[in-house]
Amino acid sequence: MSSAPRTPPEGVEITVGYKALPGQGQDRFEKRTVTPAEGDVKPWDATTQFQTVGSDLDRVDGLAKASGRAKYSYDMTFPGLLQAMILRSKVARGTLTALDLDEARAMPGIAAVIALKEVGNKVRFVGDAIAAVAGTTLHAVRDAIEKIRAEYQAEEHNVDYVVADKAPLLSATGEIEDDWPEHQEIAVALAEAKTTHSATYRVEVQTHSSLETHGGVAKWTGNDLEVWLSTQATFGCRGELARALQGKQIDVGSVTIHAEFVGGGFGSKFVAGIEGLAVSLLSHAAKAPVKLMLDRFEEHTTTGNRPGALMQARAGVDADGKIVAWDWRSFGHCGFNGSGGSVAVPNYYTGDAKVRRDHKELVADTDPARPMRAPGHPQGWFGAELFLDELAAKAGIDPLAFRLRNDREQIRQDQWRFAAQRFGWAEARARQNAPGDRYRFGVGLSSARWGNLGNAGRPPHGITCRIHQDGTVETRSGAQEPGVGTKTVLTILTAEELGIEPRFVKATVGHTGDPSGPASGGSTVTPSLAPAARHAAFLARQQLVELVAKHLGVPVADVVCKGGKVGTEKAGLPWAEACKLIGPNPIDVRGQRFANYDGKPFFGSQCGVQMAEVKVDTWTGLVQVTRMFGIQDCGLVIAKKLAESQVLGAMIQGVSYALHEQRIMDKRSGRMLNGDFLRYKVTGIQDLPKLECHMHSIANGHDSVGAAGLGEPPSVASAAAIANAVFHALDAPVRHLPITPDKVHKALASRKG
Amino acid sequence: MIPPSDRGVSRRSFLKGSAVAGIATTGLTAAAHAAAPAPATFGPGEHEIALSINGKERKVKVETRTTLLDALRDGLDLTGAKKVCDRGACGGCTVLLDGTPITACMTLAMDATGHEVRTVESLSDGDTMHPLVQNFAHCDAMQCGFCTPGMVMSSLACLERRGKPTEDQMRHDLSGNICRCGTYGRVMEAITRTAAGGGK
Repeated sequence: MSSAPRTPPEGVEITVGYKALPGQGQDRFEKRTVTPAEGDVKPWDATTQFQTVGSDLDRVDGLAKASGRAKYSYDMTFPGLLQAMILRSKVARGTLTALDLDEARAMPGIAAVIALKEVGNKVRFVGDAIAAVAGTTLHAVRDAIEKIRAEYQAEEHNVDYVVADKAPLLSATGEIEDDWPEHQEIAVALAEAKTTHSATYRVEVQTHSSLETHGGVAKWTGNDLEVWLSTQATFGCRGELARALQGKQIDVGSVTIHAEFVGGGFGSKFVAGIEGLAVSLLSHAAKAPVKLMLDRFEEHTTTGNRPGALMQARAGVDADGKIVAWDWRSFGHCGFNGSGGSVAVPNYYTGDAKVRRDHKELVADTDPARPMRAPGHPQGWFGAELFLDELAAKAGIDPLAFRLRNDREQIRQDQWRFAAQRFGWAEARARQNAPGDRYRFGVGLSSARWGNLGNAGRPPHGITCRIHQDGTVETRSGAQEPGVGTKTVLTILTAEELGIEPRFVKATVGHTGDPSGPASGGSTVTPSLAPAARHAAFLARQQLVELVAKHLGVPVADVVCKGGKVGTEKAGLPWAEACKLIGPNPIDVRGQRFANYDGKPFFGSQCGVQMAEVKVDTWTGLVQVTRMFGIQDCGLVIAKKLAESQVLGAMIQGVSYALHEQRIMDKRSGRMLNGDFLRYKVTGIQDLPKLECHMHSIANGHDSVGAAGLGEPPSVASAAAIANAVFHALDAPVRHLPITPDKVHKALASRKG
Repeated sequence: MIPPSDRGVSRRSFLKGSAVAGIATTGLTAAAHAAAPAPATFGPGEHEIALSINGKERKVKVETRTTLLDALRDGLDLTGAKKVCDRGACGGCTVLLDGTPITACMTLAMDATGHEVRTVESLSDGDTMHPLVQNFAHCDAMQCGFCTPGMVMSSLACLERRGKPTEDQMRHDLSGNICRCGTYGRVMEAITRTAAGGGK
């Protein structure tokens, strides 16, 4: 670890890149010169020897969570706490024509009833919020909500985007039949290609299904509002509520959000939403703390989803198996607001090819889409990677060889080869299914990419670091942590910089009184906060070093913090002794997130590869994923066990997306038919494949730490790899997720025919 | 919510009709039901009942329609059991009733009288943690942690029933617990490690 007392103002030479993957070729290291900002620490690089970073430290709040002691927003209580619920629209589209709250107000135990829509307002989907009630118990609230009279002028609605305005024509087998818009160059390239292919793909709506539903507990003290909110954006929600509550004589400084423990978000919890506003208003009206947490049906139907999509590709390869033309169009399943349905596709296979990509949003009278783990990516990668396998099959090329020929990224070239060896690709791929066998096996693969190295600079995220007289160290961020392990990451970085054991450090997140941090979106939290945490610890260390130097009567430059000691080579104080010099007020500093270094990082995004094996029961049509392997680059691996958990978890979510999850809508009522966990299937332990992952640590040299996030990167490839394995097993593709038995049977029938 | 008139028969309206008549509804085994005290007539409104929780008698006010989960969480501030689906479909509220794992959301509080309820809070005392809890942390058998207490209780029941469970037995015994973050593999590691006598 660096012990340089002062940042050199000029450039620093660092080593970026990565060590050869086990059994694979050569190291890929390069030298770079980077210039840290004035006052920033010296960068870590590929040669840094770490004490704690990359270790197997347990999740620092693991015991709190496993013992049930961790208090989530749902668990908060206060004396006099009231419970609350929201009345929801039963029509998908129309106008609210009557709203009578009086009878509800008169019900026993009811403290506040508020309208969330006024008569004359439009109703946009089944589940649109109409009114909210707070009372002593959920029973009292439920009884009262039944007494609210809400009437609607219903209009004709459509919840099926496939028949929405501007939707493409579909054939009986689900192929998009609209002509491709003219494109001279692509037409020529396709005509000259040796092999061409065209097909339509489709994915269904997936709900986030966070286990802790949206909502929170609101409590007013005078004009100050505190909300314990299940959110992935403490600061965003703070501003949102302050704006929405302007009539209550408050400004943003009067609002505090608490989100120390959050039971999942996956992209659905960036806003306080109507439930956050309603609980604040109810608490204000009732002059008492109020809890409002959505029920499971509301969670499925009013808090967003990963949108469905229709996708079509046509492409061609030349005699060498190089892609020469790539034409792609997609149609996203938006809710009533007409946005959020976009689809992303890989762009690294089509180097010199003629390429076109087009996307249209289609509107339906449903709850709008929200970002979900790698928005647009699992959809598009499923379509594109399955299409690539079909194209490769037509051209007579092995899928892996096809990727190696077309993938332009060196990192992934190494990962493909490594994964193939670890997974046993060649042998598994060569395995033949006999025609009469009940069970058919197959293997498939997919690439992954996600590009983010942290949103630096604006807003200037920070971290507080305090060193106390008793030797304990606090590291604090106001950003939330929906389960990824931010507290553990901050603990490790602080311990590393201070040269102490992690047990001295206590990390706290989720209270907006602490320095700002990003929303948990786009895998930005770790890369955004890691350098700030390091900088904060560095500043605190400087102050401690000065105290110790004075105490020992040695020059400041001679004092280092290392191995739990503070001092010189000859005379060092144990950490706890050194901290006694601090006095009653702690060392209290704020580290900042400097902008990423000028110049190109080693690589600007994250690469990954996943492989899957399936066993298909041709009698029942059930697909079982038997094993998966994933290699994932996430920059510097800080907390190894937690990083692996995120990758393994993403693979399981991929199984769920590929095989199980779909929102089913009743077209007539506009209502979700499976808005619970009985009929909306999320992958359970019985469906768990054997999983293995390999964390690929890469020094990108973009800031003093070099971290990347893991929310999205491992979520991109899984469903695509599984779909390709099913294609291999059946000798026929299933082009529509989830791959349910009916679709397997159809695919088998098409093969026979 | 959307009022029950639009939902068909709801659990609430079903319970409203049935609990007064003393009909056992959900969650309890036949044996457990047989051991319950003869039904008195309750309701409407709240009544104080005594529940035996983690070896202690706890008084709590409930209505006939109050679930054991709401009594634990809202009445007694025992929030380890989570309300996730409230329909017995996810296992997030798993507690042990006379040693058998049940979903507290599908059990009426009144039906739990006369039985021993064990919640996740029984597995820690100050800094002392049950080895299973320690192994959940050690194996990182969690991410957001919201399903975790329910997973821990189902795992505890699995261990107590099986001793050294096989992988198939673990998969069977935990098949009622949903984890959205995808931590199942490490949950099985935590159980296996505990069965092998591994503390932290």
